[in-house]
Amino acid sequence: MAEGTGVPNRGARASRRRFRSGPYWLALQLVLSGSLILLFVLPIVALFTYAPFSRIVAAAGNSAVRESIWFTFYASGLTVLAAVLLAVPLGYVLARHRFLGRSVVEAVVALPVAVPHLLVGLGLFLLFVPGTPLYTWSNALGFTVYDRIWGVVLVMVFVSAPYTVLASDLSFRAVDDRVLESARSLGASPANVFLLVSLPLALRGIVAGLLLTWARAVSEIGGILIIAYVVYPGGPYTGPTTSVISVYIYNLFSGGDLADAAAVSSFFLLVAFAIFLVVRLGERSGWLPWRRGELAP
Amino acid sequence: MTAWVVEGVESHLDEFRLGPVDIALEPGRAVAVLGTSGSGKTTLLRTLAGFVRADGGRIVRDGTDITEWMPEERNLGYVPQGLGLFVHRTVERNVRFPLEVRGRTDAARRTNELLERFHLSSLRHRYPARLSGGELQRVAIARALAADPELIIWDEPWQALDVQARHELGQVLQELRETDRIPILVVTHDPGLAFSLADSFLILHGGQVRWRGDATALLDHPIDRFTARFVGFENVFDRAELEATASTPLAAWLLERSFGEGIAFARPMIARTPGALRVEWEGAVQSARPTPEGVAVTLKVGGLTVAVRLEVPWSGALPAAGQRLAFSVDPKSLHPLGLPMVRPGTESS
Repeated sequence: MAEGTGVPNRGARASRRRFRSGPYWLALQLVLSGSLILLFVLPIVALFTYAPFSRIVAAAGNSAVRESIWFTFYASGLTVLAAVLLAVPLGYVLARHRFLGRSVVEAVVALPVAVPHLLVGLGLFLLFVPGTPLYTWSNALGFTVYDRIWGVVLVMVFVSAPYTVLASDLSFRAVDDRVLESARSLGASPANVFLLVSLPLALRGIVAGLLLTWARAVSEIGGILIIAYVVYPGGPYTGPTTSVISVYIYNLFSGGDLADAAAVSSFFLLVAFAIFLVVRLGERSGWLPWRRGELAP
Repeated sequence: MTAWVVEGVESHLDEFRLGPVDIALEPGRAVAVLGTSGSGKTTLLRTLAGFVRADGGRIVRDGTDITEWMPEERNLGYVPQGLGLFVHRTVERNVRFPLEVRGRTDAARRTNELLERFHLSSLRHRYPARLSGGELQRVAIARALAADPELIIWDEPWQALDVQARHELGQVLQELRETDRIPILVVTHDPGLAFSLADSFLILHGGQVRWRGDATALLDHPIDRFTARFVGFENVFDRAELEATASTPLAAWLLERSFGEGIAFARPMIARTPGALRVEWEGAVQSARPTPEGVAVTLKVGGLTVAVRLEVPWSGALPAAGQRLAFSVDPKSLHPLGLPMVRPGTESS
């Protein structure tokens, strides 16, 4: 196939067959990649071995733990929704438009990834401190930030939405202009070109970005410690008083309850791992739509 | 059926200036746009399709000026380089796309009709990633035809196709021109297929129209080295090259007969009976290789390198390097290069 056709080569699968490589080269690859995987796995093994199995089962049965996990998923779900509504369009604008100050916007988008997250909490704290106009207005609108779900979501969006912006930007950029032009020429309006061509073609990358956003939101602690250490019911959250799972575990740890902290962590790891596994399997089986055309016959 | 007139169209893209270009496209006619890379071929097609703003001139469809129309309003089948197929849609949904976005109620029937016509019915549920080059081309043409376009614009249709697929695509385009009577505008590098399809040719160079005319005129008067090579002349000599080797009798003889930029001639046949030819030359063999049309030989004649061919059928051993062979050049086969340039806006055909 010619370069730039946008159509993967038919023989690509065949050419992916492994080259025979020398034993030293292979050993080097194994040692390097193995070391990193060990680094990922060992702390997890430590958690599971420290907490007796009965404690993990007890953690799973504890309603406060379940409430905290549920709340964390709820808030991170709202964060993903916000990323879909706000970060994907920003990624599209960055990919498709040239404008003055674009580099500044790109730098601003990358900033939350680089700064310590306590700083984010502090910034939001100062913004919504009682007496400021934002505090008054947001309270009047029922959008209370301190120790409520909105505060958690604000911090989560701040620290995690950049992943979706960056992934969307790259994915929309990767869509061949000529494909978009032929869609236009075939009679599609710009809105139709976006919905029927750009978006489906960029979807896989966008979904990868959203998964990262979700994962980053779930794991956030720094900013939340300042803004919503404890979460009271309010806004869209009507459950009992709780906290996000990272804060919950931190509390157990700082209270000296190491075995419980390890048990709750292990239980949470199992849940998170199950979710990632389901998504990956869904992708591979073609049940989830964003890789169709690459895998299907 | 629709007639198109492109009148003095110009586009300015940064430093690049295209045009003015004039083209008349009538039903059942095909125009081939030729030129080297960067000559403005693709810019011309994209201007007609509405993706590049025309800074001058106008595009008229059946008497209506459509120069300012949006690409989706122009109703043309534009196939960009690389085909622009949707890899996330099956063959069927690619072909159905133009009907879908127009909300056509006969979308299913029309799609089936096209899948049948282009032998794609059995591939309807496949994705483009699993099709061959020829199949991809058929999907592209079926999709371009779905909404009954009034003009087909195709950038490099024969790119990256094997011989068989090229032949088939040539036939499909021929059929569109003759049976469907849709005017066609193609950009190509392939002379054989350009000659089999197009009635007239447009040669672009540096954004300017260098030449415009029909096939006979193009063969008789290749305008420059590029054109002469493009139409198949294997011996093309610039004036400067001939002047530099004027001590060689063949070069002096050619120089006498060339005017403008140089001279071109097809591969001459080797004489079997010395003395029977009007003008005869001799050279030393540099290389020789068998081809379906006979043995192709490169000869060194003084300072010039000349491509010749041994007569068919050839059953002997290939001539050895350094062996001397005689050949003739028919003065009637000489085509001087560099006729006066076509002035913008004047018809030459």
